[in-house]
Amino acid sequence: MLDGNRGPLPAIAERASVMADLFEPLFWYITAWTTAGFLLVCALLTWCCVAYRRKPGRISTPRILGSHRLELFWTVTPLLVFLTFYAWGVYVYDYAVHPPADAPEVYVIGKQWMWKAQYPNGQRVIIGGNPKNMTEEDRQNIGALVLPLNRPVKVTFISEDVIHDFGVPAFRQKIDVIPGRYVSTWYQPTKLGEFHVFCDQYCGAWHSLMVGKIKVVPAAEFDAFLEGKGGAQGSPNPVDGSLADKGWKHFQRLECQSCHMPNAAIGTGKHPRAPNLEGLFGRDVPIRGGTTIRADEQYLRDSIVNPGKHIVEGWERAMPGNYGTMVSEEDLNALIAYIKWLRPGTQLGPNNNSVAPYGAPRETKAPETNKSPGGKQ
Amino acid sequence: MSIVIGDTPRTAPPPPEPETPRRSYLNETSGFWSWALTVDHKRIGILYLVSITFFFLVGGIAAGLVRANLLTPNGAILTEDQYNKAFTAHGVVMLFLFLIPSIPAVFGNFLVPLMIGAKDLAFPKLNLASWYVYMIGAAFMVWGLLSGGIDTGWTLYPPYSSRFSHSSVAPGVFGVFITGFSSIMTGLNIMVTVHKMRAPGMTWGRLPLFIWAMYATSFIQLLGTPVVAITLLLLLVERLAGVGIFDPSIGGDPVLYQHLFWFYSHPAVYIMIVPGMGVVSEVLTCFSRKNIFGYKAVAWSSVGIAVVGFLVWAHHMFVAGISYYSALLFSFLTMLVAVPSAIKVFNWVATLYRGSITFQAPMMFTLAFLVLFTVGGVTGMFLATMGTDIHLHDTYFVVAHFHFVMVGGMVLAYLAGIHFWWPKMTGRMYSDFWSKTSATVIFVGFFFTFVPQFVLGYHGMPRRYPNYPEEFQVYNVLSTAGASILGVGYLMPAVYLTLSLFFGPKASANPWSATGLEWQVPSPPTVFNFEYLPITVCGPYEYAIGVDQMGRGLPEPPGAGDDNPAAKVGPTGPIGARPKETEVVG
Repeated sequence: MLDGNRGPLPAIAERASVMADLFEPLFWYITAWTTAGFLLVCALLTWCCVAYRRKPGRISTPRILGSHRLELFWTVTPLLVFLTFYAWGVYVYDYAVHPPADAPEVYVIGKQWMWKAQYPNGQRVIIGGNPKNMTEEDRQNIGALVLPLNRPVKVTFISEDVIHDFGVPAFRQKIDVIPGRYVSTWYQPTKLGEFHVFCDQYCGAWHSLMVGKIKVVPAAEFDAFLEGKGGAQGSPNPVDGSLADKGWKHFQRLECQSCHMPNAAIGTGKHPRAPNLEGLFGRDVPIRGGTTIRADEQYLRDSIVNPGKHIVEGWERAMPGNYGTMVSEEDLNALIAYIKWLRPGTQLGPNNNSVAPYGAPRETKAPETNKSPGGKQ
Repeated sequence: MSIVIGDTPRTAPPPPEPETPRRSYLNETSGFWSWALTVDHKRIGILYLVSITFFFLVGGIAAGLVRANLLTPNGAILTEDQYNKAFTAHGVVMLFLFLIPSIPAVFGNFLVPLMIGAKDLAFPKLNLASWYVYMIGAAFMVWGLLSGGIDTGWTLYPPYSSRFSHSSVAPGVFGVFITGFSSIMTGLNIMVTVHKMRAPGMTWGRLPLFIWAMYATSFIQLLGTPVVAITLLLLLVERLAGVGIFDPSIGGDPVLYQHLFWFYSHPAVYIMIVPGMGVVSEVLTCFSRKNIFGYKAVAWSSVGIAVVGFLVWAHHMFVAGISYYSALLFSFLTMLVAVPSAIKVFNWVATLYRGSITFQAPMMFTLAFLVLFTVGGVTGMFLATMGTDIHLHDTYFVVAHFHFVMVGGMVLAYLAGIHFWWPKMTGRMYSDFWSKTSATVIFVGFFFTFVPQFVLGYHGMPRRYPNYPEEFQVYNVLSTAGASILGVGYLMPAVYLTLSLFFGPKASANPWSATGLEWQVPSPPTVFNFEYLPITVCGPYEYAIGVDQMGRGLPEPPGAGDDNPAAKVGPTGPIGARPKETEVVG
């Protein structure tokens, strides 16, 4: 929640994004038509009630049964007006739900009752929430979702538990944050400052405290933030490796590479038990049963937490189904960032472990000698 | 526009006032069991009236708690948990225990047989069973509310409701599931009755528009309610047995629930409003002494709403992760469903044209309905339009829109109906002054309550928030102030209607000089309604000619005695019928 009283509400709500500038004309266009319609009905009602109130000597009334022409008129006219709302509404919606392909991506995770953001370079910010529901580490990291002025940013959401909704009134944007599914929207802020984030979908006891802050900064400051400089987000800003780098570490801890071997390892006498992941992202994957699926974030997530959902053509199901319980949504975002990063020939082999697998004795932790993948994006 | 003068049949003089029978349906038998085991549709209507009035009070108290708590930005009187339970109680009780049964179960039961000239509904015992089923469902809901409360909101979205909420979701949902059967029974009963039990001459084209509205409502109840029943059952299976249906962590799909839920719950808002439209058509014609403008348009628009209303459910989900193309389709269909409502409003206004309008309480409530329902309808356009819904969804704009339709529309139509048919149901008249005052106070209070919520919603205040930023406080205080006026307005009918039972003057059979068959029997009616087989000879609303549906003259309209006696020359005056002009427009 933003600090302090911001004074009375202005007639036109605060606008801070391109979407807000698209919303307002449409909103007032509908307001103009509907107000006119409402006033017309009120005027006709008032006129009838005054002019045709019962007066002495005028009890008798004419027998008017209707008029098809008039009825047709007030059927077609509202319909045509409504269709202009529809067409304009489609135009604005189309803008709102289709992010530009080259927009940089931020991940936001909703959980009862806080918002967590992850940036490509590994920063992690708690956008807001009820401090009582946070760990001490999370409380240290409460800050704002930093966005650049006049530059599009795609935000991908997922929920850890129930349905939330990430609403930003000043941006006139809102999207339900659903468990088990990635949804995306995008923002192009047009105004510097701090803006409310509300959870708009009822999510339980502290729903009304699941509020946060968006901070719009100049683009240069945003770039500095991504490099770990400056304090734009209002919390510690450690760039401890990129998201893909974190994902690589998870990849090793989970021992993914013992089955998903790199191409380089194949042919050295080892038989891979699972498909190679290099260059997978964005490809059409043939699925048993004759269909294909585009390997997007949702497909990667489903294949990790629910490996039985899609079996790749030519492979047996061999992957255990319990990874969903071993990785958090944040880990998944990192793992997916790593898989997205993998290009042919870039996956390191199973002997190049730099991170001990889960369950390994601590003292056998291998020295970090390998070059980390990822880097600044 | 052609005007035909003269040449209409001379009407018969008004029938003599039927003798007030010593035995009516109210006093034919007495004692607890005579009510508890009654199969008389009128007594069952009264049972429903008493029950839903009680639940309206319960839901109203919950609403009062919610509004009082919103006086300050961090909650004036309740904790967050209590607030969540209060707004859920308000929603669940008002929707499932008041709005859905209100007009269909009270007036549908009481009036449908009387209006079509039948002795009772087609299945009287099923009718009684529907009330018991309703009460059993209500008992489960009350159990849920008393044993810790329900904190999910009335929409019960999983996985919160199925796996995360620690409140009494199971009994509450089971109660909603059970009351659904009551709704199905009532709908079935009314539909069969309208098909099979109309009196001779009561053709489809002569049905009062209230019957058309009830028929359309029954259609929705029969087709929609089973879907929500099975949806709620699936929710219970997931909650109680842990079978993954809606929770993705155990293999379900939360958006599936929303599709299934709104497939019923969007048509359900038409279950709530369409009967109100029927009441409005009855009252407007009577108090303007006019035929309805465009009988067929008004009748078929009810059916149109019922049919198209089934095809718009996903407009509740434009930001809920549905596909782009389905959003396009559902927004388009929503634009279509708005048209029949617009037709009705314009036809109603045209009905008043050249009428002879009087302003007793039923008319006051109906005029208030027209104004408020129009606001509710046009603000729906902001939510049907995808570009604006993205921002307004789940804000107070939705709350205000919904209340304008459901309270400004439905509750006022319900009150109009109560005031219109009260003399028929009880045989007593209520205070003219206090009833008009009540209508005015409710209208004013309503505006003050919900107009500020449009402003809050436009500025982005989310619904279901006990804590809100300080800049929203002014409008919340305004809204709460309006709600207290509204509360006073609601209490007034409770007092003067109750007093009228004991002190009110006895009502004549046809106190409003209305045309429907229900007014041709004594007030209150006898057990079997009609002492003779009523033969319908003309359509409803022949106020211009001045005949009821049996072709007999009408008594003087209320208040006619105030007029200059020399002026009583109309067809409904004491000198009897005279040739008059008939006008056919278009």
